[in-house]
Amino acid sequence: MTDELAPTWEDVAHRHGRKIYNFAYRLTGNPDDAADLVQEVLLRVRKGLPSYQPGSFEGWLWRITRNAFLDGIRKKKRRPESALPEGDHHSLGSSPSPDEVLSSIRLSDDVQSALLKLPYEFREAVVLCDVVGLTYDEIAEATDAPIGTVRSRIHRGRKLLRGLLTWPI
Amino acid sequence: MADLTYDPDLHGELFSAYLDGQLTPDEVTIVSELLDGDEDAIREFVALRNVRTSLRMLPEFEVPAALLPDGHLGDRLSAYLDGELVTLEHRRVTKHLVECSECRAELQELDRARIAVRSLPGVETTMTQEIAATPRRHRRRRIVAGGIGAAAAAALVVGLAVGGGDEPVLVLNDLATQHMARASAEPGFAVLPSAIEVAAP
Repeated sequence: MTDELAPTWEDVAHRHGRKIYNFAYRLTGNPDDAADLVQEVLLRVRKGLPSYQPGSFEGWLWRITRNAFLDGIRKKKRRPESALPEGDHHSLGSSPSPDEVLSSIRLSDDVQSALLKLPYEFREAVVLCDVVGLTYDEIAEATDAPIGTVRSRIHRGRKLLRGLLTWPI
Repeated sequence: MADLTYDPDLHGELFSAYLDGQLTPDEVTIVSELLDGDEDAIREFVALRNVRTSLRMLPEFEVPAALLPDGHLGDRLSAYLDGELVTLEHRRVTKHLVECSECRAELQELDRARIAVRSLPGVETTMTQEIAATPRRHRRRRIVAGGIGAAAAAALVVGLAVGGGDEPVLVLNDLATQHMARASAEPGFAVLPSAIEVAAP
């Protein structure tokens, strides 16, 4: 019965932990913040699951994730727009990676630092869409915004990125 | 429709949503008409597609393993012994215990520690007096906890007997006896039969 319907928090952790981690990593460029977020989200999921009503699980989970992320920022007294750390992701280079991976990381570094220059709502919409892979409906539910707003934010985010990224053609 | 001209402010958003497969059929028609020969529209479309592709090709990081549960019961074991788990989770934990010798061993150690603390000299006497003197509401909680400990130990015995494990059944039996003796004063450990039932198949 309910056994099949409601996932355990361990299920959620294994199924979505990586996406949650990548969500925070791409929004902040910082692995420590990403790790903190995963812990906080799993805690909230564990507390919240007993009262979860079967519905859009993605919407539910990502609303929790987003709120935890924003609470984390408030707690650290950072201003979400300009004061998010920029360039912390360079510590990535210290992890042992083969050369061919390194070159692709250099490129993704450019994308990452361009992402960090976007205003928060645009960055969030783009990350939820292109990194996490949510539909517009799910993003609308997760961010408490009308779907038209979501569509506009994703587009404006990508348009800004287009101006920030230089293409190696 | 033939004189539809491309306006970046008006139509750019359609291109993004088109790439994401989020347009209505009517909007898709508009996009294909715009892309039919208008160079500015095509350039904009290709640029947005490039941005989208490079975002989607960002490498995915592995989440550090330490952040994820390892599939074992962890702190739920203590909650289990203390009778703090709600029905559904209690059932899951029991099921896991039947299958996982690692968690059974940990439960056994926790149970030993729990018994050791509870059997400290003097505690028994005070407890007995306290039980006699405390209103029933408080008494029940304490006894139920003991009862579930008994259920856990009994479930283990059954689990081991069925699974043919090589852990010392004697010790477990002993645990069970101790718990039973302690809890038998109250009908609060009715959990016992159902726990055996879960462990048996």
